[in-house]
Amino acid sequence: MRRVLERLAWAVFVVWATVSTAFLVNHALPSDPARMIAGQQAPPAAVAKIRKDLGLDRPLHVQYVLFLRRLVHLGPSAPSPNDREHADCAAAGPVHLDLGRSYQQRRPVVTILGERAPRTLLLALSAAIVQAAIGVTAGVIAAARRQRTSDRLAVGLSLLGVSAPTFLIGLLLQWVFAFKLRLFPIDGYGDTPAEHAASLVLPAVTLGVFGAAYYTRIVRDEMIGELSHDYVRTARAKGVGPAGVIVRHALRNALMPIVTIFGLEVGTLVGGAIITESVFRWPGIGSLSVDAMLDRDGPLIMGCVVVTSSVVVLSTLAVDLAYAVLDPRVRRA
Amino acid sequence: MDAAALLTSARAGLGRLARSALGPRAGRPRASARVGLTLVGLLVAFAVLGPVVAPNDPYTSDFARGVTPEHLPVGPSREFWLGTDRLFRDVFARLATGARLSLSIGVTATALATAVGSVVGVLAGWYEGRWLDTLLMRVVDVGLAFPFLLIVMALGAALDRTTATTIFLTLGLTGWLGVARIVRSKTLQVRSLDYVVAARALGQSTPRVLVRHVLPNVAGPVVVIATILVAQMILAESVLSYLGAGIAPPTPTWGHMLFEGQDYLGAAPWITAAPGVAILLSVLGFNLLGEGLRDALDPRKS
Amino acid sequence: MRSIRGRAEPPRTTRARAATLLALLATAPACSSELPAPIPSAGPEGAAPRRGGVLELATFGDVRASLDPANITDGLAPQIAEQLFAGLVDYDRHGRIQPDIAERWVVDDDGTTYRFFLRPGVRFHDGDEVTAEDVKRSIERALHGSAPNPAATSFSMIAGFDALQEKKADALSGVEVEGRYVVSFHLAKRDATFLPILATLPLRPVCKSGGARYSDAWHPCGAGPFKLAPDGWQRGHRLTLVRHDGYFRPGLPRLDAVRWTFHENPTSQTFKFLRGDLDVLRDFVTPELLRFQADPRWKPFADFESGSQILGEAMNVETPPFDNVEIRRAVAAAIDRDALRRVRASNLSVTNQLVPPGVFGHDADLPGQRFDLEAALEHMRRAGYPYDPATKTGGWPHVIPYLVYKQGLQEFMGQVLAQQLEKIGLRVEIRIVNYPTFLALRGRRKTSPFGPGFWMQDYPDALSFLEPMFHSKAISDDGTNNWSFYRNPRFDELVDRAHEELDDARRMKLYTEAQQILVDDAPWAFTENVRLYTQRQGYVREHFTHPMWMHDVTRTWIDRATGPIAARAIFSEGGLAALLGARPHGPRGASLRDRGAGDGR
Repeated sequence: MRRVLERLAWAVFVVWATVSTAFLVNHALPSDPARMIAGQQAPPAAVAKIRKDLGLDRPLHVQYVLFLRRLVHLGPSAPSPNDREHADCAAAGPVHLDLGRSYQQRRPVVTILGERAPRTLLLALSAAIVQAAIGVTAGVIAAARRQRTSDRLAVGLSLLGVSAPTFLIGLLLQWVFAFKLRLFPIDGYGDTPAEHAASLVLPAVTLGVFGAAYYTRIVRDEMIGELSHDYVRTARAKGVGPAGVIVRHALRNALMPIVTIFGLEVGTLVGGAIITESVFRWPGIGSLSVDAMLDRDGPLIMGCVVVTSSVVVLSTLAVDLAYAVLDPRVRRA
Repeated sequence: MDAAALLTSARAGLGRLARSALGPRAGRPRASARVGLTLVGLLVAFAVLGPVVAPNDPYTSDFARGVTPEHLPVGPSREFWLGTDRLFRDVFARLATGARLSLSIGVTATALATAVGSVVGVLAGWYEGRWLDTLLMRVVDVGLAFPFLLIVMALGAALDRTTATTIFLTLGLTGWLGVARIVRSKTLQVRSLDYVVAARALGQSTPRVLVRHVLPNVAGPVVVIATILVAQMILAESVLSYLGAGIAPPTPTWGHMLFEGQDYLGAAPWITAAPGVAILLSVLGFNLLGEGLRDALDPRKS
Repeated sequence: MRSIRGRAEPPRTTRARAATLLALLATAPACSSELPAPIPSAGPEGAAPRRGGVLELATFGDVRASLDPANITDGLAPQIAEQLFAGLVDYDRHGRIQPDIAERWVVDDDGTTYRFFLRPGVRFHDGDEVTAEDVKRSIERALHGSAPNPAATSFSMIAGFDALQEKKADALSGVEVEGRYVVSFHLAKRDATFLPILATLPLRPVCKSGGARYSDAWHPCGAGPFKLAPDGWQRGHRLTLVRHDGYFRPGLPRLDAVRWTFHENPTSQTFKFLRGDLDVLRDFVTPELLRFQADPRWKPFADFESGSQILGEAMNVETPPFDNVEIRRAVAAAIDRDALRRVRASNLSVTNQLVPPGVFGHDADLPGQRFDLEAALEHMRRAGYPYDPATKTGGWPHVIPYLVYKQGLQEFMGQVLAQQLEKIGLRVEIRIVNYPTFLALRGRRKTSPFGPGFWMQDYPDALSFLEPMFHSKAISDDGTNNWSFYRNPRFDELVDRAHEELDDARRMKLYTEAQQILVDDAPWAFTENVRLYTQRQGYVREHFTHPMWMHDVTRTWIDRATGPIAARAIFSEGGLAALLGARPHGPRGASLRDRGAGDGR
C-alpha cells in the first residue's frame, strides 16, 4: 500500500515537472499568440490590445502562479453556468480542473479536451484490437506451421511492419484504399456513426500495423514455447486434434502475457497517435496538440500536455503495478 | 522466460524497441543477419557511390528537360533515372545525397544516445536506490513524459537553423532516455553476479569495477540496441522532416523528400515511392542486423 | 449494377482476382489522366431562374472562433458572415462599392461627414426593422474596448473612436442618429479609406439580440440574404445557412440554403465534386488543378479571380547586405519570375509591381521590376561586390539566411530563388521555422534579413498595401508588418496625400509615383500574384467569384437535371467491384492525394 502511494506521489511529481517545463518552453519560443489571433495582417496596435486582454503582458512568474492556482482548485460541486469564476472548470465534486479558455476557439479547454479525448481513446482501442487480432492470428498460424511458407511469410511481414514508419503505412493505405479503390474516406471523422466507423478503419489499421507485427512475434514465440511442453505432447498422445491442441491448450496458456501487453499497449497508442491523427486528420488529442502548437494557443497546449503526460505516466504506473503483481521477484523486493 | 523478459523490458520503458531488442526471437537468425548485412552494405555503397554516378546535380531545377508541358515533373527516364521532383530536380541524385545524410545522422545520433544512455544507466543501476539513481531516473521519467513535438520545436527555435548537427543533437539527446533504462536494468543484473560481488569484496575501486566488469557485460545488449537504434533514428529523422522540423531544404533528406512528394502522389508517385522504399529497406536492414547480432551475442546460446 | 456482368463469364479464382486488383493498381495512374465529363444541366444556358435548391460548398479550413462581425479572426469567416450580415454599403463582384442597406449617401464638410439614408423596410432575421439606432448600437458594440475585435483600429478615423476604445466613453460621438433612417458619420479628417473599410464586415448591423456590448455567446443574427438556423452550425463539421425570406431585395436569394462542409481534404473535395456531391470547388492539389485547367469540357464553368495577393521577397533594409540599395536592385533583377511561376503554374502569375491587378492602383503601364541577369550583375558591381559567373568568384562573402515557414508555397519558391541568386553571387540559406515563429521573427527589428513577403488586400485599394507594408509609421520594434523596415520620406508623403485624396484620378497618379519609388528602391522584389481558381458544376447558374467574399450567391440557382445521374460512375461501387473481380464501370476519376495544401494558411 505504501508502495502504491509512493508511486502515485511520483506520478504527480512527474506530471507537475513535465507541465511546468512545458509552460516555460512554450513561453521561451519566439512567437506571439496575440498575433496568431489577430491575424498576420493586423496592425500592431490591435495585437497589443489582444495581448493585454489575455494577460500575456504580465510577467511570466505571475502567469505561472495563476496557471497553477487555477489548474486544480476547490469550488462549488455544481457550478452554475453564470458563475464567471468557474465558467471554464470541469468539476468532480468540489474539486475543479481549470485549464483556462482557448485563445483561438474562445471555449473552455476542458470542454475541447472532453470532445477530443474519447475519439483518441476510440482510435487507440480500435488499433489495439486490430493489432491483437492480426498478431494473435498470424502468430498462432506461424507457430503451428513452423518453418513452413506461412511461418516465414508471417515472420517476414512482421519484420517489414516493424520497419515501416507509421506515416508511410498511413500514406500507402490512404493511396490504395481511399484514392484507388475509394473504399474508405481519405481522412476526417464524418458526421454519422456509420461515417465515423468508416473513417476509423484506415487510421486504426495504420496505428495497429506496427503493433500487429510485434504481436505476431510474441505470440509465435510464446506458442512455440507452449507447444514444446509436456502437457501438449500428452494431449496429442490422447488423440486431441492439432487444432484442438493449439487453441484449447497452448493458446490458453500463452494468452496471459498477451493480455498483459494488450492493456499496456493502449497507453502507448494514445501517446503515439499524433502522426496517425495528422495523416488522417482524425480530430483527437494528437492532431489537436499539433494545431495548438501551430497556433501558439497556450491554454490548449498546456491542456494537451497535461492529458498526454498523465496518460504516459499512468500507463507506466500500470506497468509497474502489473509487473509487481506478475513477477514474484519484484513482489519480494 | 519470455514473458518475464518482456515485462522487464516493458518496465525498462524503451517500449517496443527494447522489447524487440531483448524480447523473443523469430525466424532463422543466420539468414536474417545475412540479409540485414547485405541491405546495410547496399545502403553504405549507395551512399558512397550514388552521388558520384548520378548524372544530374541534386540541387538544380531543370526547367528545360525536367518538366512536362503540363508543368508536371517528368517520370523515370534515361536522363532522370528516378524522374524529377516537384521542383524538377533529379530524384535519384537527391536520394543518393540523402542516403549519406540519413546514414550519418542515424549512426552519429545513435552513438551519442548510446554513450549518454550507457553512462547514465550504469551509474543509476550501480547506485540503485540512492539519490543519484533517483535523480537520474526522475529526469528520464520526465523526459519520456514530455511531448516530443514541443522539444523539437523548442530546439528548432533555440538553435536558429536546423542543420544535420541540430538533428543529430535532437535525436541523440532524446534517444538516450530509453537506452538508460535498459542499461540500468541490465546493470542491476550484472551487479549481483558472483564475480562482480567478489571483485567488490576484494576492494577494487568502483570505477575499476564498472569499467572492468560491468561495462563489458552490458556491452552485448548495448550493441544490439544500438544497431536497432540506428534504424529508429533513420525513422525519427524522416518523422521530424515530415512534421516540418527536419533539416532545411534544399538539402535532400529522405523524410523531406517524402513530405515534398505528397501533393504529387497521384501525378508523380515516384517522388514519394523512392524515399519511401529507401527508408523501408534501410530500417529493415538495420533491424535484421540487430536481430542477428542479438542471437550471436546471446550468452544462452553459446 | 452488380448484375451487369453476364452469366456466361466463368467464375474467377482468388488468384485471378488478385491479379486483376494488382493490374488495376498498376494501371491506375495512367487511367487517372482524364476527368469525367461534367454533369448535365436541366435547361439550356439562359433559361429562366428557378427558386430552390441547396448549394454545397466545402473547404479545407474551419471557422474556429466566431461569425460575429465584431470578432472576425478566421480567414473563412468573412465569406459566411457576408451572407448573414448586410451593411450600409457593400462590394459588388467587381470590387466596386455599392449601396446596400443605405440606398444613398452624401459627403459633406470637405469630406469629413458621411450621411447615409437607409432603405425603409429592411428586416433583420428576427423580423425587426433595421433603423439608424441599430446601426449606431452595432457600431458601438463592435468598437467598444470590451469587444475582442481585431479590426477595430481600422476605424480610428471616426471621431470619438479613442474614447470608446479606451472605455472612457459609452457612446461613439462620431456616429449620429439624425432620424429613423438617417445616420451620419463624422471623421477626424478626410479619409479615402473610410468607405472601402466601412464596406467590410466589422460594423454591420446586428439584431437587438446582439445587445449593446459584445459577448462570446451570441447566435449570429443580421439582415443578410441568409440566416443561421438555431442548430445550423455543427462546429468542426458543417454549417448551413437558410434563406432569409424577409431579405430586402425582392425575389432574392433564390437558393433554399448554402452549406459549407469543413475540414474537407482537397482530394476528397475533388472526388465529391466529380460525383456531384459538391457544386463549387476551390481547394485543389496542384496536379489536379492543372488537369481541370487543361480540360476543355470543364473550362467554361471556371474562372480565375482577378488577383488580390502579392508575393515577393522582402529584404530588411536595416541589415546587411540589404542596407545597400544596389544589392536589393540586383536581387529584383536576378529573379526569373517565369521560372518561379512554374513552381505552381496553376495559380501564380508574374508581376512587376506591388499592387495586384484586381486592386485599384495597379498600373498596367508601369515598367516595374524585370528579370535581367546582366543588369543584376551590373548592380552587384556597383554595390562593390562584383561576381564573375564564369569562375564563380566574388559576390557577397557571407551566407544570407532566408527565413521561411513550413508547409507554405514559399518553402518551394525559396529553393528556386536560392538557385537564381546564386548566379549573381548571393548565397542564400533557407531556414525553416513554423508559422508563428516566422511571423514573430519577421516582424522584429534587425532579426531576419531576408524572407518571402506576402500580402492580401484588406480592401481593394492600393492603400491596403502601401500603408501597412512600407509606410515608416508602420514600423515598430516588434510585430511590424513593414518587414523591410523601409523608410522613405517622399514615399510617406505620397501615401499620406493619397490617404486624404478622394478623387480617384488624382489618387491613381499618387499611387503610380509611390509604386515607382518602391520599384527603384526595391525593399521587396515583387514576383508573383496568386490567383485562386473556381471550378463550378455546369448546372450552377449565376454563381460568381467575388473579390472580397469568395462567393457571390445571392442570385445563384441550381439547374441540375433531376433523377439519378446515369452518366456518373459511383466511385465507391467501382472500388468494391474491383475487389470482387469485376471491371469498374464508367470513367475512373482522380487518383491524387493531398495533405496540407494550405498555403499561407
